[in-house]
Amino acid sequence: MSTQRAPASPLRAAGLLVRLRLLRLLNQASAAYGRRLGRGKSRAATPGKRRNRWMLTALVVVFMLFSFGNLARQSILNLHKALDVRADVRAGAAAGARGAVGPEGAAAAPAQPPAPATPRRIRGPALVPGTLSEPLSRGLAMEMSLLCVVVLLMSLGGREIAKPDWDLEWLVTLPLGMRTLLWSRLLERSLANPSGLLILLPAAVLVAWYAGLGWWAPAAGAAATLPLLLLTALGRTLIDTGLRLAVAPSNLRNLQAALSVLGVVMLYIAISTGTPSPPDFILDWARGFPRWMQLLPPGLAIDALDAPDPMALLRSAATLAGETALVLLLGVRLLQWQLRNGVVAASSRETARGAVASAAAGAAAPPGRAPRWFALGTPVQRRELRLLGRDRNFLIQTLVLPLVLVGSQLLLNGGIGGRAFSGASGFAGVSDSAIAMLAFGIAAYMLMLSAFQTINSEGEALWMLFTVPRTLDSILAEKARLWAAIALVYPALIFAAGIALTGHMGLELLGLACVVLVGVPIYSSIAVSLGVFGCDPLAQEVRTRIRPTFIYLYTLLSGLYTYAIFTSDWSQKLVLILLSALLAMALWQKARDELPYLLDPAAAPAATVSTADGLMAAMLFFVLQGAAALALADTTRPGDGGRLIVCYTFAGALTYALVRGVYWRSKTLGVPAMFGAKWRQALAAGAAGGGVAAAAGIGYLVAMRALAFSGDPIAETANALSRSVWLPLLLVVAAPLFEEFIFRGLIFGGLRRTWGALPSIGASAAVFAAVHPPLSMLPVFGLGLCAAWAYNRTRLLLAPTLTHAVYNGALVLYQMNA
Amino acid sequence: MAGHRESARLVIDFLGLAKNYGSHAALAPLTLSVARGQMFGFLGPNGAGKTTTIRMLMGILVPSAGQVRIDGLDCQRDSTQVKQRVGYLPDNPVFYDYLRGREILQFIGEMHGLDAAQARSRTERLMDELALGEVAEEFAVNYSMGMKKKLGLACALIHDPAVLILDEPTNGLDPRAARDVQERLRLCAAAGTTVFLSTHLLDMAERLCTRIGIIHRGRLVATGSPQELKGGVAAGSTLEEVFLAVTDETALAAPREGAPDGPAA
Repeated sequence: MSTQRAPASPLRAAGLLVRLRLLRLLNQASAAYGRRLGRGKSRAATPGKRRNRWMLTALVVVFMLFSFGNLARQSILNLHKALDVRADVRAGAAAGARGAVGPEGAAAAPAQPPAPATPRRIRGPALVPGTLSEPLSRGLAMEMSLLCVVVLLMSLGGREIAKPDWDLEWLVTLPLGMRTLLWSRLLERSLANPSGLLILLPAAVLVAWYAGLGWWAPAAGAAATLPLLLLTALGRTLIDTGLRLAVAPSNLRNLQAALSVLGVVMLYIAISTGTPSPPDFILDWARGFPRWMQLLPPGLAIDALDAPDPMALLRSAATLAGETALVLLLGVRLLQWQLRNGVVAASSRETARGAVASAAAGAAAPPGRAPRWFALGTPVQRRELRLLGRDRNFLIQTLVLPLVLVGSQLLLNGGIGGRAFSGASGFAGVSDSAIAMLAFGIAAYMLMLSAFQTINSEGEALWMLFTVPRTLDSILAEKARLWAAIALVYPALIFAAGIALTGHMGLELLGLACVVLVGVPIYSSIAVSLGVFGCDPLAQEVRTRIRPTFIYLYTLLSGLYTYAIFTSDWSQKLVLILLSALLAMALWQKARDELPYLLDPAAAPAATVSTADGLMAAMLFFVLQGAAALALADTTRPGDGGRLIVCYTFAGALTYALVRGVYWRSKTLGVPAMFGAKWRQALAAGAAGGGVAAAAGIGYLVAMRALAFSGDPIAETANALSRSVWLPLLLVVAAPLFEEFIFRGLIFGGLRRTWGALPSIGASAAVFAAVHPPLSMLPVFGLGLCAAWAYNRTRLLLAPTLTHAVYNGALVLYQMNA
Repeated sequence: MAGHRESARLVIDFLGLAKNYGSHAALAPLTLSVARGQMFGFLGPNGAGKTTTIRMLMGILVPSAGQVRIDGLDCQRDSTQVKQRVGYLPDNPVFYDYLRGREILQFIGEMHGLDAAQARSRTERLMDELALGEVAEEFAVNYSMGMKKKLGLACALIHDPAVLILDEPTNGLDPRAARDVQERLRLCAAAGTTVFLSTHLLDMAERLCTRIGIIHRGRLVATGSPQELKGGVAAGSTLEEVFLAVTDETALAAPREGAPDGPAA
């Protein structure tokens, strides 16, 4: 006979459940912040690493507490400024005649005759800790209520509700009474509610601080937060239990999507009081917050924190505790009633069957049931569109959220768009580039939520793409094109609105529209390739599937393009567009290298020379050159050719050595070589290329002279340098050596690995031209074409180096003789 | 010439294929060949490396050393061509949310290059043959384990592959469905399809497979036809006895360290 063991006591059971939930949170947090330390499985993790994770998690929590605290502080100060100071001024103005008070003031301030509430001092702009004024505590009650709604919505909008498994289904198998289980669940959901704690606790503590509780504020704030957390946990449990019982999982996810958007909007509204200039409507809400709402728990919590004397404290605290207890008792009763038929989630199967019947009825009619337009696009694109049509979560996340976020930003902050969309009169002052930046901004944001997620949205079904006879990158390219096409709808709408509202369509606006039009596909490609690195398809937890670093990187790069829209210099625009396009190619190549290793937890692609290396080397070259110039600035005479040569040679040699060293260490494949068996062909190709490039360059100079462009930069540079004996060395030896290694060896060679000869020659020449001064771009582009062609013939750096040397030599000779 | 004919006969060729997870060797260098039209059973305890091997065949995992060829094509380098010839069923097929079984199957068909009409007719035929017609219009995520497995099998069969690679094909199926699937595989093999399947079910392996390989802790410990294997241990022994004998932990001279469950589980 087995011994009967007494089950855990209710208190212990609750404790165990809370501990379990906290443990899960902790694991989640450490997984989210510490995971990037090693790519391998957790077996490789060492204790040292784990300690780091703890510190990182703690740091993040402290940072979040600080920023939410700061927001709460700003919010209190803003409310004080808006409610007290204005009321003060008004009180002063209306000292004699109370009728002068405006309609909103009539609703707020004079409701209480100046009996017990008036001893509360009304202060000037600086809010010193002490008892809060009546209007301010009313405003704070409003703020606290809003925050409670936000906490409720955010907990409901979390992923948990959309998960197919319902943890209550296994919790009921434990030897606990239903009541115990429900109470433990409430407790667990109140205490292990990180977002709730982060939002409510700092707010309550700061209210306590400004109410003059001093160092008691944290304890008092925590005490005031607890009932609110319990009540939001109850609300959440009631709603999610009801939904679980009544709604099919696929609809639940759609509902969750709607709730999460609502949560975000509410959060924006709630924290808008803490922004530098809170919108008027929220201040109106604070003024007109009804008295009876202050008798609800959030208001009572504020009252208790702000009690002028022990009696008032006792009164508010007791009312708060009583209300909370009553609501909780009733809530648990309601929960028990909800679960009277057992804990069985609404069967997706049966609801789906109902849908099937209707689907089958509809399907029975025509054999070719797919609508005509459905034949558009590739199978992958059609599937993506179908998912978009069915999965509201996906739809809202990708298409609606960008509008909501950008829209609420504009409405609340009243930035450019606030003026742009508040009416035609305000719109007149908005520049074309502001419209274009807004258009690109929304499109780029949408791409972050869609194109960036292409791997992530495949979820665990990613294996299917590994079974079809297609390369993964060709599938991703189709997705990138689809998302680019969808993302272009937003700029189109915004430009249309801009033209309609301003009533003009200048050449500048058209040009900017073109810049945006080109930028969206480029950034769609960048988003897809960064998404390959930014997603971890092997992660178990949904929220750890995305690596935030790459989202930041994407945002940063989008900012670069925004500058291309912003700058009025067309050559700068062109350079930035070219660089973005090359960056897109480089990142695509890196992603392509990574794709076969996507589902492999242990292996990584072998190091191979890539376009990205070339871009980094080029950047390093320029930065080092600048740094060297700064370092030498005072030691040598200004305008000295020798200094230029020293800087240039130093930067070039260091870059060359560094890149070579890194390649040597990482045993990189495909490192460009200077000499080889085909050196004769290389010399011939180099000389031929150099001849063509030099002829074109001299032709260009002659044409420029004929068109009376005096002082073209090539001539200037040449004149400045011709005094130096070092000139031939720089132009004929150093420049070809370093530049060819970077632009032909790395950038062209990297491109050529993935793309055909012509696009690679064109792209590498374009970027080579882009880093030169505007007037010399054209001949340098020609040089780039010839050098890349020469390099492509033999794959020896000897060829393009010779081309470059011949070109430079010929041009300098021509300049000197001219 | 003879070598060429040999490689044409051998459709799956493991050439020292190995996989390490850090210092843990999930698969020691494996050299093995499977002839055309053979039904090869890949047996082994949980975590022995079966799924790791199969995933390397599909290019989902990248080998640490060696290679595996199908029809002479490297499964890593020429993976696109390999996948034209191969149908694959994973041990635990996960499907897209919000897509019906029929739509998923049609999508896979179109990705294999069938035109829409062809894909549609094959989808309908396969769904009926695998008794999925009733649930064809349901979202595949809501399928039971057995239905998912059958839908996965349909995805593997939609392009009439020359090679089938199946990870636990009858896992989660009810007895009748399991029998139907076995029958289907027998027909495929009779029609010349090469089948490489992993399983725990020894009786199925014995009944179905023309050749069996047993893998234990990442090492191939026995290969041969069921009859050969049974004769190897003791005359008249069952396949179960053979399996228990060659995967006996205590019989291993030097047990290697590491968790018994490999990462493939």
